[in-house]
Formats: sequence, structure tokens, C-alpha cells
Amino acid sequence: MTAATESAQAAFASILAPTHLVTDPAVCAGLSVDGKTPQCVVYPASAGEVAAVLRCAAEHDLAVIPCRNGTKLGVGNPPRRYDVALSLKDLNRVWHYEPGDLTITAEAGMKFGDFQHFVGREGLWLPLDPPGGARATLGGIVATNASGPLRLYFGAPRDMVLGMKIATTEGKVIKTGGRVVKNVAGYDTGKLLIGSYGSLGVIVEASFKLFPLPADRATFVLAAGKLGIARDLRRRILASPLTPMRMLLLDAGASRLAREGSPLARDAHGPEIWLEVGGSPRVIERCTMELEVLAKAAGALVARLKSEEAENLWNRLTDFRAWLRATFQRLVVLKATLPDMASEEFLSRVEQETQSDHIRSASFCQAGVGIVHVCLPGAESEEAAIPLIGRLRTAAQELGGALVIEDAHMDIKKKLDVWGPVGDDFAIMTKLKTLWDPKGILSPGRGVGGL
Amino acid sequence: MKLSPLVRELTRLVGPDAVLWRPEDVMLYEYDALSCARQPQAVVFPISTEQVVALVKLAARENLPVVARGAGTGLSGGSVVTEGGIVLAFARMKKIVEIDLENLRARVQPGVVNLDLSFAVSDHGCYFAPDPSSQKACTIGGNVAENAGGPHTLAYGVTTNHVLGLEVVLPDGEVIHTGARFWDRSGYDLTGFVVGSEGTLGIMTEITVRLSRKPEAVKTLLAVYDRILDAPRTVAAITARRITPAALEMMDGFTLRAVEEAFHAGYPMDSAGVLLIEVEGMREAVEDSADQIEAVCRENNAREVRRAKTPEERDLLWRGRKSAFGALGRISPNYYVQDGVIPRTRLPEMLEFIGEVSQKQQLRIGNIFHAGDGNLHPLLMFDARDADQSKRVLKAAEAIMAKCVEMGGSLTGEHGVGIEKRDLMPLIFSDDDLEMMRKLKAVFNPQGRLNPGKLLPTSKMCGEVRAQFKTGGVL
Repeated sequence: MTAATESAQAAFASILAPTHLVTDPAVCAGLSVDGKTPQCVVYPASAGEVAAVLRCAAEHDLAVIPCRNGTKLGVGNPPRRYDVALSLKDLNRVWHYEPGDLTITAEAGMKFGDFQHFVGREGLWLPLDPPGGARATLGGIVATNASGPLRLYFGAPRDMVLGMKIATTEGKVIKTGGRVVKNVAGYDTGKLLIGSYGSLGVIVEASFKLFPLPADRATFVLAAGKLGIARDLRRRILASPLTPMRMLLLDAGASRLAREGSPLARDAHGPEIWLEVGGSPRVIERCTMELEVLAKAAGALVARLKSEEAENLWNRLTDFRAWLRATFQRLVVLKATLPDMASEEFLSRVEQETQSDHIRSASFCQAGVGIVHVCLPGAESEEAAIPLIGRLRTAAQELGGALVIEDAHMDIKKKLDVWGPVGDDFAIMTKLKTLWDPKGILSPGRGVGGL
Repeated sequence: MKLSPLVRELTRLVGPDAVLWRPEDVMLYEYDALSCARQPQAVVFPISTEQVVALVKLAARENLPVVARGAGTGLSGGSVVTEGGIVLAFARMKKIVEIDLENLRARVQPGVVNLDLSFAVSDHGCYFAPDPSSQKACTIGGNVAENAGGPHTLAYGVTTNHVLGLEVVLPDGEVIHTGARFWDRSGYDLTGFVVGSEGTLGIMTEITVRLSRKPEAVKTLLAVYDRILDAPRTVAAITARRITPAALEMMDGFTLRAVEEAFHAGYPMDSAGVLLIEVEGMREAVEDSADQIEAVCRENNAREVRRAKTPEERDLLWRGRKSAFGALGRISPNYYVQDGVIPRTRLPEMLEFIGEVSQKQQLRIGNIFHAGDGNLHPLLMFDARDADQSKRVLKAAEAIMAKCVEMGGSLTGEHGVGIEKRDLMPLIFSDDDLEMMRKLKAVFNPQGRLNPGKLLPTSKMCGEVRAQFKTGGVL
């Protein structure tokens, strides 16, 4: 331990309760990022303590990465340096909850599962199905604008956050937005923080607009057999009067993987569309009927899942990283963002590229949104993975989109920028980073263009 | 009259037919829908991004303020000039550059009128969701600058939820492209930050928006009340029953009589207030919700719940609602419209409070609310020639704003801060919050030449409310 860290830890100790500063190497190792392990983990218990910790870290020039359960720690370029893990575990209170107004203000460390359970008692929810699922935290979800297939109908955190409080490296807690559902007072500073991956400031609290839980829900699996049929079917569904809450197109690899170890495993043969609708029994009845017609016209088979089975499978599908990571030692997850209608073309490019390299792949396409996650559980060696990722990035760009590496071993990340090329707005982004974090202590090097 | 060197230079850049400089010509550009400020030195009408760049560079050389302007329908003074300089009016940049129906995207120049975009894609079953009441006139550039709302934002969100990318000219003439046609471009969400920045960060020259598919079914209900407080109670009950209408509007008797006299939209002249409610979606969902809503209205003492039987009847009701400001303009020499937001459960309390303010200040106040999202538009009637009335209007407005803040609400839901509310900002933001906003502004607009005197308080107010409206305009 250097003298600087020692004096910093003494300073942290003066801010935090004794048990809220942990230097146990085992705990620190649990929060390693790309081979770098922090020297301590701090657990501030209030917004003010978060701000004080940040100021203290800035004074001592210590690099900080905010986290909680680490569900998204894999995203980003390898950090240039990393001294302190700032855990928001103890910031898990609800400040304002107005079920009648469909609004809530809660602290960033609150677990998403606890949050949904809390608002669910009043028949409400925050309609998100982010990676990490119930283990994700509000702050992490907002800081990464994390969403899943529910984005189709409900949008992303960007569309649901009403306001937030942010701890800055200057040691201040600033407010942006408010607690009401409509508000244009002042700059929408929150937008800069949403999707900033903890590189500008630390979100300590956020207000959300809530939505009523649907009265009934139904999940359908449409077995398309071939990508061309899936494409046709998806277009028909999107052009129909149906308003699915979420839709996920799984390629053959993904539909097999999704069911591995479940009794449904043998049903999966080719690409499938998973689709969930919500509403009154009459709405669901109509959807069932229309889907049968649409599936028939496209040459696909439709089956409705039992509800408890459906919920488990959706959780598995939207949190695919977790179970894939548990199964495969080295996993690469890519996220392509595309004009929606280019999705299938991209899927078939993935199929070609991976087959020619004999690499196993599974792709999850958020239909109607234009986001495709490609998992390469077979990409054992960086020699094989790096050129493949490069080709897939080119494919996404040729189709008018972009590709981000969401998860990969640091050997790969060291050679490829995970975020891809920067644009002509990069100079402004750099200035913003310098304004918020002049010493470069927040997640240094992890952001776009090495910010 | 001899042309000034500035006008000569502007003319050289954009042509003689695209520059206004005579006092009688630029006089029109002193105004927006709220107020009147100063005359610009010139108004120029660029036709391309290149021209905007050239003009902005010229302004930089001459150290002149630059104010972007769409149709001038703004309600907070966002597009008027506070310190002279050049107005960039976007009336000629009104091209819909690209429509991509498959991917539900459109790329437009900032001068495109809001409703024109919806018309352009209407035959394909699509529309542009943000629908401010001035949508027949206001431009998408203005909508983006102000993060405009509208009645249907209750279900579909405000402008920012529909904008994916921007081409922005910075004050030094550099052009940047924020966002993309697809979601989640790597890096900071500059698009989200620039939307609603009221022309103080950059000049937008192209906008990429998301189009929406028209719903299968729409039902419009009109609930009529004999006691005005039953209307906001119904709103709270609808929300509490977990029904989400596409729009949920309230008008009090005073306002709807003015509307009816002007437009004959079909509102009952003898009622104390109405709710205009719209549900959209799949046929079955719409029928279910409409039945539920009707029941809630009746439980809350609606005298009558009428359903629009034809699209024409529906259009008429909406035309009445969207023309309400104009209708009140017929019966009062001046009016001052407020734009506060409160938690929607507190609407009944607020309505009572506004009644008290009206009595205390001896002013007629019409109430027209985007009730579903708690966005209030009390319209304060007065005669600007009467100095005492003008003073009382400011007091009344201040009292209503203070009440919004006290209820945990906001100073503006969709009209923007502009000049109107800049000095009220300390009511909801601390010095630290405002300091951060100033620094953020300086990243884009370091010399403050873009739309100066807007959005941020002109001096440190330390929480003290001071309404400083210039006389001679509406106020």
C-alpha cells in the first residue's frame, strides 16, 4: 500500500463508520475489474457520504469505480487504474412514494427485485427487464440505461427517470429534474448521467414514473424454423394492430441455449420469436387469435406458455449473461444497435461469420427496437475472437448501426475498443468529462474513446 | 437607407431576399407568444447547414448574440432577443429530408411544422407523437429546443422521448452530430442534453425523430360536471384505478364557454367544467378502458359522459381544446398563461387554491389543465393598460408558482424557462445545481452568445422570488 492510499484510507475512515471501510483482500478481489483489484471497498450510508468519499478520492487522486452487485462491471474498456470500489449497498431507502401519482423516489443502491416487489404491492411496476434482473440496482440500471425487450412498448430508463441526485467529485450533491411526470425546468442534466457508466458522477437517488401492472399477461413462442420466416413474421406482427409488451427473436443457437437443462429443451429447433402481451382477458384472447393467423400466414407454429413457466423463462432470457457466464469460462457478449429492419440481415451475417470460424454463437434480437445481443460462448481464444468481432463490427456498421463489446476477457478488450469509433461530438464529450471529473478519478479509461 | 456593414455581410452570405434589417421589418421579431423584448439588428433566413455555419462564424467574429427562431409560438420568451444581435429564423429550412417508414424514422430540418410531419406519413398509418396545441404552426426545431409537450404526452412522452439524433452548429461554427438513427450510441447522450436547452447550447440544423404507428382504435369521451372539483377528483380516481388514457384534459366552465362561443366545438355552455379524455390502442383495450373511465366519471358525479361518435365530432372537440388560448384572447385584452406542474393527486387542492388567488387578486382565471400529468395552465385575464391589474397578475402568478413548488412540483412542464421563469429557478434549484448548469452551458457556449439571457437566473437570487417582467409586451 502506498503512502497516498494510506492517508486516503485514514481520510475515508473519518467520513465513514468503521465497518463501512473494508480492506479485506478477498472482498476487494470480488470487485476486480479486468484484472485490476481495488485496495479498499467503501460503503457510504448517505448521499452526503458518497460526495465526501468522492471529494476525498479526488484529493488523493485515487481511482473510483461505483458498483453494487457488479452485474454490469464487465462493460467498458479496462480501467487505467482502480483504487477504490464505491459500493452503494447501504443506499437502499425509498424517499417518496406516491402510488396515486405513479411516482417514486428511491436511493441508487436499492435492488431492482426489492423495488419491483415494493411497488408491486400497489399493482405498479417499473417496466424494465434489464441484465442482472432482480440483482441489478436502480443506480446501475440508470447509469447504464439498462433495458431489455420490454423497451419495445415502454422505453428505456431514459424515458422513465424524472429526476435524480448526483454526487460529484467536487464533493457536492446536485439535483436535476424533479419528482413530477412532466418537467422542463433547467437543463436535462440527468440525460448525461443516464448511460454514462459511472464516469461523470455517482447517481445517489432517482425518481421514476411508474406504470400499472397489466391485468393479465400471456407469452407466446412462435417457432419459425428459418430466419427468413422469422423475419417475415416479425414484420407482420409489427404491422398488425397488436401491441406486444416485448418481443425477442432468438436465433437457433439462442433458442437451444435458452432452454438448456429445462424440460422444454427438446422443442427448440430453429429461430423463434418470443412475445408477451398484456391487458384484459379480451385483449389476450384477441392476441391469441391474431397470432395464430399471422403465424400460419408466415409458416410458423405458435404455442402459449403457462404463466409461471413463462416468467421463469423470460427472466432467464433477459438475464442470459448470468447463466451463460455460469456455464462458460470465457464468454463474449456483443451488442449491435441497428436500424430495426436490418436485424435479421445482421443475424444472418453473424451466422455466416461464426460458421466459417466454427465458433458457437447465440443471438438475442430485441425485435422492434433494433438491438441484437450476440453471445460467443465458444470464443475460447482471443486469436479467433478478435478478427471475428472486427468483422461483426464492420457488418453492423455496413447495415447502418454500431457494435459494442459488452463482455469479453481483458485480453480481447486490450486490443479492441469496446465502444467502437468516436464521432464528431467527441470533443464535447471530452470537455464534459473534464468538467465533471477534472482529475479523471471516476472509472478512468473505461468510457468511449478511453475517457 | 445605407446598408450597415453587418447587413452587407449577411446579404453576401445568404442573399438579399433572406435578410431583414429595416426597423419596420424586424419589429415583428420582437415577439413570441409571451412577450416582447428588443429588436434584433437583423433577421436572417438561412437555407442550409452551410449557411448557418457561415452566419454563426460571422456572429463570432463580430461578437454578436445569435438567437434561433422557429414560428415564434413559444410561451416563455425563448426566441426573443434580449441583447440585440442576429435572429436565425428557420422558415426556409422546412424540408423533410428523409422518411424511413420501415424503421419508423424521419430526418427533418428544424423549420418543418409539427403537424406537417404527421401529415406526410399519415397515409402510411404513422404520425409524430408530440402534439403541442400550436402544432399547426410551431416547428419541430422549436419543439426540440423547448422539449415541447402536448395533450397526448400523457401516454407517449414529451419531445425528448421521440428524438434520436441532432445536427448541431456550435457557436464557433463547428458542426457536430449527436446520437444516431439507432438507440444507445456509445458515449454521452448529448441529444438528450441538447433537447430542451432552449437554444442556449447550439443551433440545430437537422433532427432525427422517431415516428409512431397510429393505434387501431381511438375513443374520445367528454365528461361534464356541475361542480368543478369533481373533475380533478375524477382524474385522481382514474389514475388510482390504474387506467392510462392517451390524453386527459380539463377545462373549467369559464374557459369552455369562451371556447364554445368562438369555435362551436360542442362543449356544454352551462357546465362547471369538463374532462376531455382519450383512450387509444387495440380495439378491445380501448373499449374496456372507455367503459371503466365512464364508470369512474359517473362515480365522481359527472352529469353526463358523452362519446364522440364520428371522427369529425372528435376533431371538433380537440380543435376547441387546442384553440382555447386563442378563445380567451377574444374576451380579454391580455392574458398570462402559467405552466406549473404538481403531483396529479393534488389537483383538487390546487384548483381551490387558484380560486382563492383569483378572489384575492380580483382577477378572472381560466383553468385549462393537462390534468392527467398534473400540468396546469391557469390563464390570468387582465388589461395591460391597467398598471394595477398588471401588478396583481404578477402576484397571482407568483402565488400559483410558489404553491406548485410547495407541492413538490415544477415551474414549467412544457413551455420552458426562457426569460419568463429564469429568475424563479432558485425556487427549485440550489446554488450548486445552478452552478453546474452554468458550467455545462459553458462547455457548449463558452461566451454565452447563443440565446443570452435565457434559462438561467441573471443574478444570484438566493431563493428570493422576484418576478421581473418588462412592461410594454403582454406583461
